[in-house]
Amino acid sequence: MPLWFARGIRRGIVTTHYPARPERSAAGLPTPPAFRAASIDAALADRLTAVCPSQALHRDGAALIFDVGRCTACGRCQEAAPWAVTPSGEFELAATSRAHLVKQIRLAAGEDR
Amino acid sequence: MTALQPVPPGTVASLLGVTGGELIRDGGGAVTVQVPAARLEAAVHHLAAAGARLADLFAADGEQVMLRLVWGLHAERRYLITQTPLGSAEYPPLSDIAPAAFVEECEIYEQFGVRPVGGKPLNRVALPPHAGPDFPRLGHQPLQAPQEAHAPHAVGGQAFEFPFGPVRQAGVESLYYGLVTSGEEIVDLYLFTWHKHRGVEWRMQGRSPGEAIFLAERVEGLSAVGVTWSLAAAVEAALGVEPPPAAQLTRAIALELERLYNHAAALAALCQATGLAVGQAAAEIALELLLRVNAAAFGHRYLFGVIDAGGVRRAPDPAALRGGLPSAYGELRRAADALLATNSFMDRLEATGILTAEQARRLGLVGPVARACGVPIDSRLDQPPAPYAAHPPALAVREAGDVLARLRVMLDEAADSVRLIRHLLDAGAGTGTAPLPATRGSGLGWAESPRGEALAWVGLDDAGRITRARLRPASVRNWRGFDDAARSQNVFTDIPIIEASFWLTVAGTAR
Repeated sequence: MPLWFARGIRRGIVTTHYPARPERSAAGLPTPPAFRAASIDAALADRLTAVCPSQALHRDGAALIFDVGRCTACGRCQEAAPWAVTPSGEFELAATSRAHLVKQIRLAAGEDR
Repeated sequence: MTALQPVPPGTVASLLGVTGGELIRDGGGAVTVQVPAARLEAAVHHLAAAGARLADLFAADGEQVMLRLVWGLHAERRYLITQTPLGSAEYPPLSDIAPAAFVEECEIYEQFGVRPVGGKPLNRVALPPHAGPDFPRLGHQPLQAPQEAHAPHAVGGQAFEFPFGPVRQAGVESLYYGLVTSGEEIVDLYLFTWHKHRGVEWRMQGRSPGEAIFLAERVEGLSAVGVTWSLAAAVEAALGVEPPPAAQLTRAIALELERLYNHAAALAALCQATGLAVGQAAAEIALELLLRVNAAAFGHRYLFGVIDAGGVRRAPDPAALRGGLPSAYGELRRAADALLATNSFMDRLEATGILTAEQARRLGLVGPVARACGVPIDSRLDQPPAPYAAHPPALAVREAGDVLARLRVMLDEAADSVRLIRHLLDAGAGTGTAPLPATRGSGLGWAESPRGEALAWVGLDDAGRITRARLRPASVRNWRGFDDAARSQNVFTDIPIIEASFWLTVAGTAR
C-alpha cells in the first residue's frame, strides 16, 4: 500500500481545471448541428427531418424546429447537406428550462409548402 | 439440393439424414436447414451429441411461429441455423437437452406465448411485470404470466433473502440482485434484468437497415461496434452484399479499439471493487486516454457512427492512431503490471468467482468469461469475418476460471488488439459502403465484441425493410453464468469483484 500512496503522489493531479481552463480534448467531440437558414428551403428541411434518427427535427410551416434535447450529434444531417448544416462546436448544452433547448430556424430560402 | 463440402460426420449432412430436413441456404459462413417440428427434438439431440454449440434460440411471428436455433459448428468454421415452423403453442423442451436454451425459452414465451411442453416454470426475463395485453411485444401475449424466479424471504430457517437494487451505486446500471444468504456466504443469487427493457427489437420492425443501425448502437453502448457489426453483417448476408475490403479493415480496427477501452474499464472497475483507489485512478487515466484516441481516430469516444449497413461511415485517422495508441496502451500496461504485483489486489482475485469449463459449455458462455475457463471459443478465429481471416488474433485462454484468469485473458487480448490495429492500418483501412438492394432476404451476422460473440439475425421484406431483427449481444449469454460464479464459495464482498470481471451490461441483455 505505501507503494500505491507514493505512486499516487508521484502522478499528481491529471484532471483539467474546467471550466476555469477550457478542456482541449472536447474540440474533437461530435457536437449538435448549426443551421444556415439562408441555405435551407422547405424541401431541404423535410429531407433533414427524414434523415434525423432521433426525431430532433421537424418542419412547422416556414420554420425548421430543432430540439437540441433530442439531438445525439450523430452527424447525419451534416452529411446530407454540408453546405447548410455544420457542427456547432457547442457541447455545453445545459439550460434552465426544457423549452430553451428547442430552437426555431426561420427558413429564408424557397417557399413554404 | 446443394452439395455440402467438406462434410464432417455428425453435423450438417448427417443432420439432414437424421431429421429429413431440407437445406434452405448455404453461404456466407452460415447454413440454414428446415427441420420439421416432429423432428426438432431429434435434431437437437443429434447436434448436442456431435459437439455443436447452441449459440442462440429465437422466434419470429407469422402465419406460424418460426423457431430458429443457431449453432456454432467449430469443426466446419461456420454457423448452422435450424428453422422449424411450429404448428402449435408448444415445442419440445430443448433446454432439457441443451441447458443453454433455457433463458431463450423464457424470452420466447414472454414475446410469443409459445412454450416447451412439460409445464416447467418459465422466468420473467425482459418484459416488466406490468406488461399487459397492449404492451409492445414481437408476437402474442402468453396465456399465463411468466413467473419471478426467486426464493422466499426465509430459506431453510437460517438463510434469508437480501434484496439489493435495482437502483445501486451511482453510475451503475439498474439491476436487482436477490441474494440468499445465511449471513455472509452466498447460498443463492438471482437477477431481475427487465428494468432496462426498451423493446429495441420491436422498434426495428418496419425500419430500414440504416435506421436499425442507429438503434443497434444503443442496445449496449459499450459494444456499439460489436453489436452494429453483427447487425450490418446480417443485413449484408440477407442481401448478398459484400462490404468494400477497406471498410472491413476499418470495422476490425474499431472493434479492437472497443475491446481495448472495455478491458481498461474492467480493470478500473476491478480496482474500485477491491477498494484500491489509486489503482482505479491509474486505470481510469488509461481508459480516458484510450477514449480520446477513439475520438481522435473516429470522431466519437465510444465509436458510434462508424459501422453502416454495407460498410462504414467513417475511416480512421491513421496518424491519430499511430501517434496516440502506443502511449495510451503503455499507460494501461503500467497500471496493470503494478496491480499484478500487488498482493492485496491479487489475493482478492485469485480463486474468486470460479466457473468450470463444464459450466461454461453447459450455459453457452462466450468471450473472455468462457476463455478464462479453458473454453477456446472466439468467433474471430472460429468463424472469421473477412479481415480476421487474413489477420488472425492470438487466442487468449486461461484454465483457472476465476476472476484473475478473466483479468489475464483481458490483458492478453488488449496487448493483441494493439498489434492487430497496427497490422490492419498497414493493410489499408478506409471508408466505403456497398449499395444495398431493396429486396427480401434473411441472414445471420456475428462479431466478437469485447464481451464475446455478438449475434444478429434479420428478416427483410420486399422493400428491404426489417420484419424481424434478433439481436443477441454477449451479455445475454454471460449473465446466466454470473449466479453460478457468485455461488462458488464466495461472500458478499466478492460480488462486485465478480461482476467487474464479467464486465457485462444490463442494457444488452434487457434490450
